[in-house]
This record gives sequence, C-alpha cells and structure tokens, in this order.
Amino acid sequence: MPVRFLKNTSEIADVSVESPLPVALTNASLVPADTLLVATLGVNNTANRDLLGSTTTEQPTLTGCGQYRKLIWTYFRQGADATTYWVYARTTDPLSGEPLSTGWQLLTASAGETLPGGANEWGRIDIPATGDAYYDQYRIVVQRTGGSANYDMTFKIVGVR
Amino acid sequence: MSAERITRREMLKRLVIAPIGVAALAALEMQHAHAATMQLYYEPYFVAVLCEGRTRCDTLWRSMVGDTLPLVPTVQHTTPYDRLWWMGYALGSAPVDMNVRILARAVDRNGVPLGPGWRTLGQATLQTPPLRWFRVEIPEGHWDEYRIEVRSATPRLVYSRLIASQGYWKE
Repeated sequence: MPVRFLKNTSEIADVSVESPLPVALTNASLVPADTLLVATLGVNNTANRDLLGSTTTEQPTLTGCGQYRKLIWTYFRQGADATTYWVYARTTDPLSGEPLSTGWQLLTASAGETLPGGANEWGRIDIPATGDAYYDQYRIVVQRTGGSANYDMTFKIVGVR
Repeated sequence: MSAERITRREMLKRLVIAPIGVAALAALEMQHAHAATMQLYYEPYFVAVLCEGRTRCDTLWRSMVGDTLPLVPTVQHTTPYDRLWWMGYALGSAPVDMNVRILARAVDRNGVPLGPGWRTLGQATLQTPPLRWFRVEIPEGHWDEYRIEVRSATPRLVYSRLIASQGYWKE
C-alpha cells in the first residue's frame, strides 16, 4: 500500500518522485564542493615546481581557499617513475590578500610524500590528510625523484567546505 | 502517480478514522528526496537519491542498472557528496553470494574524464541468507562519477538504490 499524504487542502497524493513528502529542514547549512583547478602538468625532476609549473617559491598554486576545510586532489598519472610531492599553506591578510609573512607552513613531511599510483593509474590525496585546513593559500609542489622518464599528470582540485 | 480530489467532508472523515497516522506524519522531520541523476546544477539537498534501478546479476560485471559498458558511469555530477550508500535487495531463494565493485573517477570542466579507466575504491563479496537487504557504505566521496558493479555465479535479480549525503552541520 503506498504512503499517502495530504498534498493541498483537498488532495491526497501518493508519495513519489514527482510528489515528495513535504518536510521541514531546520537550522542546517549546506556543505557544497567547488572545483578550484583542472590542468595537466608535465612532471619532471625540476625542484620546487608547483602544479602550474611555477618555480617561484612565493607564488601560490591556489588562493582564496579560506572557506574550505579540505582540498581533494585527484589525478591520473601516465608514468610510474617515483614522484614526490609537498604541500605548503599559509594565511593572508583578509583586507589586502597579502600573506601574513613570507614563507609557508609545510603540511607534509620535509622530505616530501610519495605520490601514490603507477603508470596510467588514478590517485587521490586529501589536503590535509587529517583534520581541517582553512588556509588561504596553497602551494603544491611535485617532482619526479626517481627514474628518467617524464610523464603527464592530469589533475583536479576540489575544495570542500 | 495517482491523486484524488476529495471534499473537505470526506477529508475530515478520513482524519477521524486515522488520527494516529496524521499525527505521525505531521511530527516527522525528514529530508527532501528527489531523484538527482544527470543534474547540471546541485540541488540544495543534504541527501539525494542518485539512482534507482535493477539488474539481472550474472557472471559479467554489470552496473547496478544493468549495463556491461565499463566506460559508462552509474551516476554523474556527484562532486558535492561526501558519502554514498548503496542499498539493495537480491531476489531468489538461494543464499546471496555476490561480488561487488565500487569504481570512481574525476572529470574536467567539460565532463571529460581526466584519464581512462577508473579508480577502484573497493571490491568485496556480499554474502547473506536469501531474501535479505544489503547496504554498502562508500565513505570516499567527492568524486565526480561512480560506477557500481555486481557479479554473481548464480543469476539473480538485484534491486538497488544509491543515495548520497552532502554533509551538514546543525547550527
């Protein structure tokens, strides 16, 4: 027997996709996800090179990220050579957008983390790995640290509130 | 969907007959439920029904809606959802012994996958007595597309529903 409810003042309707049960949603906020960056990087052995190919140490890969508790970095790598990544973060002045100081806070180990996956495989990295972030700027550095074959990596970064 | 128009007198009669049901409905606090497949923008709902379907589960890897096309996602535009639940029911009088596989991938702004293939989030065997519900939680959310596959040595009909939550906090 279907579930029925009083739809208008004089109409009884079956619960369906077209006529959902009316409910009240109180005191709750949405948690959407935003696509921040989609690009392809040619991974090579250049040190301190970020996902956009910049070797300028003060230049962020992403900015305006203060509202996101977590970034999700998904990628498809075409090569298997050992690759290391570092994630740097910092906060900025809310009025000018300038970093509070030079330099960065390193969210990964100082020696870097191994980029998971092999040739033609998908990977995913949560930033930070545990806890919440809410940093304003991030700089994500990737470097091939083994082998000799450069490869392309197509990636996407999503910010989650 | 069926609907009937009734007079206020008739409505009052029904309310008198079933007051408990009416009170229970009025007191319920629930979430909107809409089928949200192929949506181009994200509906402001915390829990969405992404997909409902059935498949004749056999020795081939089939999606929960029945196709054997490995490139085709079961659901798309699932980026906002931090957790998914797959609930289903397998018909048949034999015990359920079904292989399941959860696949995911990301797409660019044009909807094209970043690369070929899928990331395997998990693969397992569902074993239950006959005529029982099953539920699989997929904690790795925020992928753009998912493909849910099933396979069984004993052919059986599997009804499924895939729901997802966006995550929320109470003020």
